[in-house]
Parts: sequence; structure tokens; C-alpha cells
Amino acid sequence: MTVASPRPRPLRRAPTDLPFRFADRGLAQALAAERSEPDWLRAERIAAFEAFERLPIEPNQLYTTYLDLRNAELADARPYVRTASAPNAIASTKLPDGVAGLIELREDGVAGLVLEPAAQAAGVILETFGQAQARDPDGFRAELEGGVGLPADEKLAALARGFWSQGVRLLVPAGLRLERPIVIRWAVGAPDRALIGRTLIRVGDGADVSIIEELVPSGPVPAGSGQSLLAGTLEVTLGREAKLAVASLQELPLTTVALQHRRAVIGEGATLHWALAQLGSRLVRSRVDNHLEGDRSSVEQVEIVFGGEDQLFDLTSYTHHAGRDTTGNLLSKGALLDRARSFMKGMIVIDRSAIGTDSFLGEFGMNLSKATRSVAIPSLEIDQPDCRRAAHSSSVGPIDESQLFYLESRGIPADEARKFIVLGFLEPVVARVPLADARDRLRERLEEKWDAGIGAGADAAA
Amino acid sequence: MTATREIVTDKRDQFAFHDDIAYLRETKRGLTRATVEEISAVKEEPDWMLQYRLRAYEHFLKRPIPTWTDGLDKIDFDKIVYYRKPSEREEKSWDDVPDQIKATFEKLGIPEAERKFLAGVGAQYDSEVVYHSVKEELGKLGVVFMGTDQALKDYPEIFRKYFGTVVPAEDNKFSALNSAVWSGGSFVYVPKGVEVPLPLQAYFRINGENTGQFERTLIVVDEGAKVHYIEGCTAPIYATESLHVAVVEVVALPGSKVRYTTIQNWSNDVYNLVTKRAHAYENATVEWIDANTGSRKTVKFPAIYLRGEGATADIISVAVAGKGQHQDTGAKAIHLAPNTRSRIVSKSVSKDGGRASYRGHLKVSPGATNVVASVRCDALMLDDISRSDTYPYIDIQEDDTSMTHEATVGKVSAEQVFYLMSRGLTENEATNLIVQGFLEVFTKELPMEYAIEFNRLVKLEMEGSLG
Repeated sequence: MTVASPRPRPLRRAPTDLPFRFADRGLAQALAAERSEPDWLRAERIAAFEAFERLPIEPNQLYTTYLDLRNAELADARPYVRTASAPNAIASTKLPDGVAGLIELREDGVAGLVLEPAAQAAGVILETFGQAQARDPDGFRAELEGGVGLPADEKLAALARGFWSQGVRLLVPAGLRLERPIVIRWAVGAPDRALIGRTLIRVGDGADVSIIEELVPSGPVPAGSGQSLLAGTLEVTLGREAKLAVASLQELPLTTVALQHRRAVIGEGATLHWALAQLGSRLVRSRVDNHLEGDRSSVEQVEIVFGGEDQLFDLTSYTHHAGRDTTGNLLSKGALLDRARSFMKGMIVIDRSAIGTDSFLGEFGMNLSKATRSVAIPSLEIDQPDCRRAAHSSSVGPIDESQLFYLESRGIPADEARKFIVLGFLEPVVARVPLADARDRLRERLEEKWDAGIGAGADAAA
Repeated sequence: MTATREIVTDKRDQFAFHDDIAYLRETKRGLTRATVEEISAVKEEPDWMLQYRLRAYEHFLKRPIPTWTDGLDKIDFDKIVYYRKPSEREEKSWDDVPDQIKATFEKLGIPEAERKFLAGVGAQYDSEVVYHSVKEELGKLGVVFMGTDQALKDYPEIFRKYFGTVVPAEDNKFSALNSAVWSGGSFVYVPKGVEVPLPLQAYFRINGENTGQFERTLIVVDEGAKVHYIEGCTAPIYATESLHVAVVEVVALPGSKVRYTTIQNWSNDVYNLVTKRAHAYENATVEWIDANTGSRKTVKFPAIYLRGEGATADIISVAVAGKGQHQDTGAKAIHLAPNTRSRIVSKSVSKDGGRASYRGHLKVSPGATNVVASVRCDALMLDDISRSDTYPYIDIQEDDTSMTHEATVGKVSAEQVFYLMSRGLTENEATNLIVQGFLEVFTKELPMEYAIEFNRLVKLEMEGSLG
């Protein structure tokens, strides 16, 4: 183990060195003291801090060669401590069209929390951690204590568990079907600040709900500013026959570092859909754990990366089949411009108990300029051969010349044709975003990024 | 079908034997600096080799035991005899080989194979090559095929020029160990433009409980030359653990073609830890055809570094993991030059609680433009107490690479078994046939005799499990 260097800004860092220094026992205690947390929660933070200290930065030895945190320069980053989850701090907001509920968290405050009356009447609860602690201390404790909703072997998940300053909790009662999505919006990006937050989602038996997670800039970031950090979680529990669709749009500033941990426990006959779009941030390190515990449970995950400049997308997914006749279908697609890099790591684990599993993992990359780098590590660990399917597939290649030729032959200029092909490559994820507005915005962002990337490329060539 | 039934009978006894040999010289158990010096002194090696060994020994001590694959910490390096010499000098003809050793080889069928169509026999008995014959015509062509120790004496310039350049001593813990204590192995040099008409074959085996076997093979194929090298091995079965740590280096100079075929059938107590790597220069082709059925644990990833423009790599890796076995095998293709191609095909079978892991690395470095690469891994699991893992690494750093990868895991389909049984086969035979069909991509690349032998090995494995 390396000891933190006494120098303020070491000139050279190893790829595995932690980029920030704020996570210590004192901060865990300060966070607990600030919001007058009960004893169990103080102990919880300290336990998490100790786990954070103990754990290696990469729990899986398969992936240690592809870990690079050097894009993150957070030595001066200061986390938010002051309480922000207190219910009285919440301003009322108007509910946007087509949305059943909205919570917006802005740096160290809650900018808005609103839930349509019908959903409230039906028993949906959308609240901050502060409200949860006040309203439902026992239920809240059960969901939080011991870090049960997070991967126990993950150092950066322990960071969120010990040092969160903001939290969102969504409870959907059994049997309820919400027609319109609930939006959870995190606005981040203040220079030299670190925002650490958690989201707990519990969907009751037979309920059906969709969620849009938006990770957006909190404001313009002046050139030359220090970096910002967002460390966040999404801790999901799906009851029997429940359905949940989560669409996440990450479009943070290029001065932000995003550390994300999403973990779902999927009950009998339940279905989870992930549509994850990664566009922003200088460094994204994301891990998704899907635990298919109930029989006939299923997960479908589509993830796109559209990177440029020197962005690094370090994405890991674990699909763990434990129940019988479970289904996993994961698809990751990355299009890279400039010097962007993507590390796509996916693991399918099929337990001995998981008879009749159908699991597929696909990782596909499109390298659009010479200095890009695509790494794909799709792995399988199988203890039960009695499966319908256990397979993975990956490919990396340039734009297909024959597709280009076809479009050009139809009178579309080469630049336009390239754009169509790349956006078409990413469209399967875009199409899965449940809200038309959000979908259109994602399409716009992708198009903007393409135009900017090509412009930058042309400048470099000139 | 009668032929099939005949082959299915268990012939394990033929392959499991141990002769009591009066060892003429061996080092003390365990590894010290003195052991390394002693090995070098016995072999009357030049000083540079002694220094090389000592440097490697120091590195071996420094490197930790790898933990990314499990069980290697169970190896007790102090229990191993690092050098054992069964006969005083290399034998030139079959007649001069001591009877006792000859009897061992008879059981392995070497002379028979040689009579039929194999060009040369380099048979390794314990740590020294004791028998070596190269057909006269090969000698006339200028092809060198001899024990590695002898080559150090007879061809010092070419030996020193290439030794350790493909697999440096510092590459990993076990390449360092081999570099420190290596003994035996084959040296092949094929001069410019020469096509070796028949496969070169080296049989070797471990004998003696707890005997380490650290052979070192160096194959240099000059411009435009062509050769096929085959190694296969069996070993006596023992209760305590044996260690086999080999290094194979292949240098394929521009325009050459090298095929290296391995059938690995160590007894189920052997740790088989092998570093195999080839450098392929301009327009050269290297093929690893690698099958692993034996050993307690095999860790082996035949690698090809495509260093010259237009080079081609082809790797076929097959593993059968039975009870108590872990086959941690795979392949690596590292593209360092433009217009290079690679193809990796891996097939694994696991049964009776065995574990088959595929680990692969496909890398396209900056500057290696217009690369075409494919990786295919298929795994077959015969029961639900076995395990199969697939860990491919794909690292692409060029925008015009075309790479595809696919992996599947499945079981023997009940429909196929039912169909074959309806045609009069027993369930055992039906499963055998399906497994053989699954592995055919490998067997069809083998010379006929080897294909038969390999199918027989697979059947022995199946017999052990299903009988």
C-alpha cells in the first residue's frame, strides 16, 4: 500500500493513486455531527470509512491493468458538509410536463422536490435522506445500515457510504403503475468541490415505474477552473413482478470526475431496464451490479459512450445470475473521437443454482480517430451449464465503409453520412429513454458533440 | 463403430509408469544460488550463461507468486530437485540409448512414430536430452535440431543472438525460474529458404517424483524458411506435486512460416506453467496449435508478437479439464505493425468438477494500422459441478482496426445424445463423439497420427468420467 504523499501536488501519480485527499475519519464525524445523526448512522459512517481505508481501489484482479485515475486532479477538492437534506430547505418547484415527480439536487442544496398529487395519494414517497430519517427511521435504517445496497468489495462505493452529504429515497408501493416518469436531477460542477450523494429506490411487488436520472452542469465553468467530483449511487430493490426502467443521462462538464455505483437486487419475475448514456466528465468510473435473485427475473442494460478530447470512460458491469430461468441482456456501445478512451469490463456470473439462465453481453466500439483507445474485457464465470444461453460478443472497428458508400450513393454528403452512421450506432440507447423531451435532448447533445468533435478534428488537421 | 469401442478401452496403464533409474547426478532439493552455479558448472557453460542464470535467479526471488490464478501458492519450491541428469552424454543413435530408458520410450511409441513419418526425434528424459536423431537429409539442408544444451556449445553465436530475446528472464516469475535453472529442451535453426519437409518432433516426459522439469526451447526460422515442430508429453502418475516450468521462444524471420503443435498430457499431479512466445517479422506466419488435457494445473497462454508488416498469427487452443484439474489457458496476439492479422480459436471442455478458463489478450498498438483480428471461444460443460470461465482482454488503439470476438458456453445437447443413441451408440459413446466433434477444429490441424492419439486421449478422459 502506498502512503499518501506529504507533498501538496505530486508531479507524477501512479494510475491507481487516489486523486483526492478529503476522505478521513474527521470528515465522517463532521458529516454525522452537522446533521445530528443517530448513533447507528455515525457508526455506519465510521464503518464505511474503515472499509474505504482497507479496500483496494480495484476489487477485481482481472481489471487491475486497466485502471487509470490520472485524469482526475482533485487534490484540492473539498466535499460539502453542511446539511442540505433538511426538509425545510426544500423550495417548491413547478412540475414539468409529462413528469410524475421531480427532485433536483444542486451542489449543497435541494433545489426542488415535487410529486404529483395523484402519485402522493397512491402512496409514492419521494424524499431526501433527512426527511426519511425523520419520517421512517426504522425503514431508512434497514436500507442503509451495513451498506447492504452497495457492493461490499468496492472502495469507491464505501466512499459514498461513508461520506454522503445528500440522499434521495423513492418508494413505490406494491401494485402501483405510474404512467409518467420521475426525474432525479443532480446539478454538479462547481470547481474544487466534491458532491457525494446516494439514491435509494424500492419498487414494491407488481409496481411499474420509470425514472430519469439527469446529471447536468450546475452552471458555466470558467476556463482553467479546478475539477469537481460527483460520487453517486443508485441502490435499487425490485419486488416480485415489479418493473423499473431507469434512463440516465450524464452530461457533466469536462472538468468533472464522476464515480458511480449502481446496484440492483431483482426479485422473482421482476424486470429492470437500464438505459445509460455517458457523454460528459473527464473521467467516469462506473460500476453496475445486477443481482438476478428471484426466479424468472430479468435485466436489460444498454449503455452508450460518446467520448472526445481526453475523456476516459471506465465502465464495469456485473450480471449475477442466482435464480432459475433468469435473463440478462447487456449491450455497451462506445464511439470515440480525439484521444478519448473507453474501458468496458463486463462479467457474467452464473451460480450453480441458476438453472436455465439466458445471458448475453455485447461490447462494441467505434474508434473514430487514430489516438483513441478501446478496451473490452467481457468475461464469463459459469458454474451451471444447464443454460439457455451464456455468451458474449465484442467488436471494435471503424465506420463501415460499405454503409458510408451506400449513404453517399443516395446523395448524402460524406460528413453527414458519417454523422448518421455514428448516431445510428448509438440510437438503440436513445430510443430507450422514456421521456420524449429527454430523448430529444440526448439526441441534440450527441449531435452537438459530434459537430464539436469533428470541428476539433479539422482544426487539428489544419 | 467397432473401432470406436476398441479405442474406448482404458489404456491409462500404458501411459502411467515409472522406471527406477540410477540418477548419475542431481542437485539437492531446493533452490539456492549454489544450485544455479552447480547446474551451470555441470554443463560447462560459458560465463555469460552463468551470469544470465544468476540474474534470473535474483529476479525469481524478487517476484511475488501470481495471485490472479489460484493455487500457485501451493507449490513448494524447496521440495523440487532442479537438476537431474539421467545419462552422461547425448546419444547419437537409438542403439546407444540405455536399455532402461529405451524401454520407457518404447511404451510411448516414439520409434514407431519415427519409422513412419517423423523427421527427427528429440526425446527428453528428465532434465537432459538423451536421444536425438536428425535424419541425414535435414543435416544436408543445414537444419539444426538438437538439445538446447548442445546448441549452446555447437552454435554459440546464433544461440546468444536469440536466447532470451523473445521471453526475457524478467518477463514473469516462472520465466525467471526457467532462465535460472533451465536444462534440456530443443534448439531448432532452419536456414534461409529451407522448407523442412516433415514435422520435427520432440517427446519428453517427467520421471522421478518431485522432479522439476525446466526445459528451454529456442526455434529460429530464417527468412523464407518453413518448419512444423511438434511436442507431446506424458508423465508417470504420482501423489505428490511435480512442477514443469518451460520457456519456448520462437523467432520467425521475414517471410518464414512456423507451426508449433503441442499435445500436453502431464499426469494430474503436475503444475504445468509455460511461457510460450513467438516474434513474427515481415510477412511471417506463426501458428500455435495447443492442446491441454493433463496436469493438475496448466497456466499457458501461447503468444505471438506481430512485429513486422504483413505478419499473420493463428492460435488454436484446446483444453480438457477433468476432476481436480484447472486448465488456465488461452492466447495472446499483440499487433505492433501495420497490415497484420490474427485469429484465435479456443475450445474447452470441463467435466467432473474440473475448471477450464480461457484468458486472452488481443492488443492493437498505436501505429498498427489496418489490423484484422478475430477471437472465438467456445466452452462445453459436461455436468453441473464443473466450471468454465472466459476472460478475454481486447485493447484497440487504432481507428481502422477490424476486430471481432465471440464466446459461448453450453452443454452437450440432450437431442444430439438422443439422436446418436437411437443409432445404436451408448450414451458414453455418443458423448465422446460430440466432444470430439466440438474439438475437431483442433484435431483437423494435426498430422494424422497425432489426431488419432489426441482422440484417444480425449476418450480416455471421457472414459474416466462416464464409465
